[in-house]
Amino acid sequence: MAVIAPRRIYEGSRIPSPVPTILHVPPELHETGDILQVNFGPNHPSTHGVLRLVVDLHGEKVVGIRAVVGYLHTGFEKTMEHKTWWKCVPYGPRIDYVAFQNNELVFVLAVEQLLELEVPDKASWMRTLLCELNRIHSHLIWLGTSALEIGAISIFWYAFQQRETLLDLFELAAGARMHTRYFQVGGLAEDIPVGFYSECRRYIENFPQSMADYESMLSRNEIWLERTVGIGLLSAEDAIALGQSGPVLRGSGVDWDLRRNQPYLTYGDVDFRVPVYPNGDVYDRYRVHMDEMRESIRIVEQCLDRLEHMEGEPWIVDDRKIVLPPRHELHTSMESLIHHFKLVTEGFRVPEGEVYTTIESPRGELGCYVASDGGSRPWRVKFRAPSFVALEATATCMTDALIADMVAIVGSLDGVMGEVDR
Amino acid sequence: MSPYEGVPGLVETKLGFGETTLVVDPARIVETCTHLRDVEGFNFLSDITPVDYLGWGEEGVSGHYGTRTGRDINRPMTQGYGVTPEAKPKRFAVNYHLLRLGAGPVRVRVQVWLDDGETVESVVPIWPTADWHEREAWDMMGIRIDGHPNLVRILMDEDWEGHPLRKDYPIGGEPVRFSGEE
Amino acid sequence: MAVSRPKRLADFGLNTERIQMRDKDPSVFERELGVEDLEEKLMLTTLDKAVAWSQSRSMWPDTFGLACCAIEMMSIVSSRYDIARFGMEAFRSSPRQADLLIVSGRVSHKMTGPIRQIYDQMLEPKWVIAMGACASSGGMFNNYAILQGVDKILAVDIHVPGCPPRPEALMEGIIRLHEKVQAGVPPAYEIRGVAS
Repeated sequence: MAVIAPRRIYEGSRIPSPVPTILHVPPELHETGDILQVNFGPNHPSTHGVLRLVVDLHGEKVVGIRAVVGYLHTGFEKTMEHKTWWKCVPYGPRIDYVAFQNNELVFVLAVEQLLELEVPDKASWMRTLLCELNRIHSHLIWLGTSALEIGAISIFWYAFQQRETLLDLFELAAGARMHTRYFQVGGLAEDIPVGFYSECRRYIENFPQSMADYESMLSRNEIWLERTVGIGLLSAEDAIALGQSGPVLRGSGVDWDLRRNQPYLTYGDVDFRVPVYPNGDVYDRYRVHMDEMRESIRIVEQCLDRLEHMEGEPWIVDDRKIVLPPRHELHTSMESLIHHFKLVTEGFRVPEGEVYTTIESPRGELGCYVASDGGSRPWRVKFRAPSFVALEATATCMTDALIADMVAIVGSLDGVMGEVDR
Repeated sequence: MSPYEGVPGLVETKLGFGETTLVVDPARIVETCTHLRDVEGFNFLSDITPVDYLGWGEEGVSGHYGTRTGRDINRPMTQGYGVTPEAKPKRFAVNYHLLRLGAGPVRVRVQVWLDDGETVESVVPIWPTADWHEREAWDMMGIRIDGHPNLVRILMDEDWEGHPLRKDYPIGGEPVRFSGEE
Repeated sequence: MAVSRPKRLADFGLNTERIQMRDKDPSVFERELGVEDLEEKLMLTTLDKAVAWSQSRSMWPDTFGLACCAIEMMSIVSSRYDIARFGMEAFRSSPRQADLLIVSGRVSHKMTGPIRQIYDQMLEPKWVIAMGACASSGGMFNNYAILQGVDKILAVDIHVPGCPPRPEALMEGIIRLHEKVQAGVPPAYEIRGVAS
């Protein structure tokens, strides 16, 4: 791992103490009596969902900040304990509703690790392709909403227009725009439909032009630079201590990407670059996001090259104890009928054990801890959400920040509240 | 020969599904974690997961795996051979998932076992990211963390009673009425 | 002389499928308003019609996105499913300036306080669309944390099903709301007495 030495921006760690996630107002400022406490309530146009920030202001400077979460707590983990393994899969995408297929993937990978299944190649390549498209989807939404909050309102429409074409691709592959539920334990739920490859290729051809448009509007825009360079500084050591991952960690100079360092799916066979920038401010995180989108398109192209030669291969594993048999067999084979019945009513059983699977979601290290007692329902499922951890870094990034920077910083940490609250 | 023999407080090392679990004495968790961070190089705490094992192995896992009391031909869904789940040492397990950032990343899980009412010391001084994870463990499972600087509820309302992820807490919700029945 | 059939909501311009089936019994909507004297209830003067026309043509929503449905709500603002053609692209952040509350996403019990506060801060007339399965009925989350339908705390005009509803489905809900307003149906808080 190469840690690009951070520039000497300050001395020592900036993590507040005693509580790492709360910036307390210094006692001497309390006495001057000039502190205004403002509540950025759960309903706010710039907080990426239902996040509440209680901010103490001394003039325009933020001297105290505390994040209150839990307004979207859904009880995913407890609900999943009451559903069979198959029925748990649709709960995954609703956790991080912007990078939905990554959540499905991490849960399905964890179950496959417990079952010790070998997934067919076609399914792995298609999963890689869809996860990278999902990464582009997530970064486009990030770009649109963060730029909107900082004031570059037109980027919102540009980014969402691109996103619509992308959702058309998802709809073509899986039948639904969002929350596709296309990944199944053992592979994919259905075969890849005819016409997907040509549509995907057309998307890849048109994408670089859009990227060039966004960068020409933002990357050297004086207002954008003033709003983002040097704002929200987070050093590499602080980022690692605070458990950051994904673009926040790479924007702080740490060369760490699970797709390359701990390859899962087919990332070991794909050639891509990992963008790392040293300064640890909002602008660097923006650059990491933009470069990642470009790299994702390259990965998608490589996956398409491989997939086009895999016509007719199986898309799901052949184990009838886990996967439904094809429908035409139900008329002729008794065993298939029984397997179908057992799988639909009771579900398959997963051997006893516990695993912790991690993947690189667009926000960082997404982990899924699954404990099974050998039955048809999970005993415990826990999702390690990267946004949950990213919000812990708010207090550190907000040291010496102005109130207007708060919006830029919270946006750059890329939090999705569904993930934070689960 | 596990590479973790020198870890203080180590009770047992378990291997399974490609993962290493170090079961550690809860009273020495801070010593263990400091050793793991400074000597072994685990500078990244990925996650803290509490698990409640109340009722583990009591219900027969139907079909392929039998019940703890054995087969009973007259009770459906209890026939079958296979491994019944072993009893767990205590009710709660707290898993710390650690990662060493480096070439060929190494992950390890540190596991401590607690009974209801027992506490574990906070690892916030070692990895500041543990702050919210430990608050969630308190909020959702009721595992009290000693020495945590700010142990308040994080996901539920501040005045919520009970700890939702415990196995004896009901799932809640409403009974669904179907329109066919009147 | 032929007995004229009493007027139904379909005669006032509402185009929902169920309401168009004139040979069926009156819908819940019609029963709430009172089937017998629908014509008198909805009788609009020319001035009322003009006011209803202008209300439906510039109904400003509040920026109230909770979860996944919020992403689909944002995509109706985008250029493909342009909501600006209905005059609704001005999403107001302050509830005092908003007419329409689109509850998009799952409502947890912790959030009910803020939602109710925002609803109370909106000035009348105000309309509510419960977007998606979670806002309409709790969706796939029948558990301790999620309110089983936002109509337990607010008076909802339109429920839009889906998980998440396609932008076209949300547009249909919005168009039905416009038709409802133009037909003269009062907003839901006048008909249904939910904690108003």
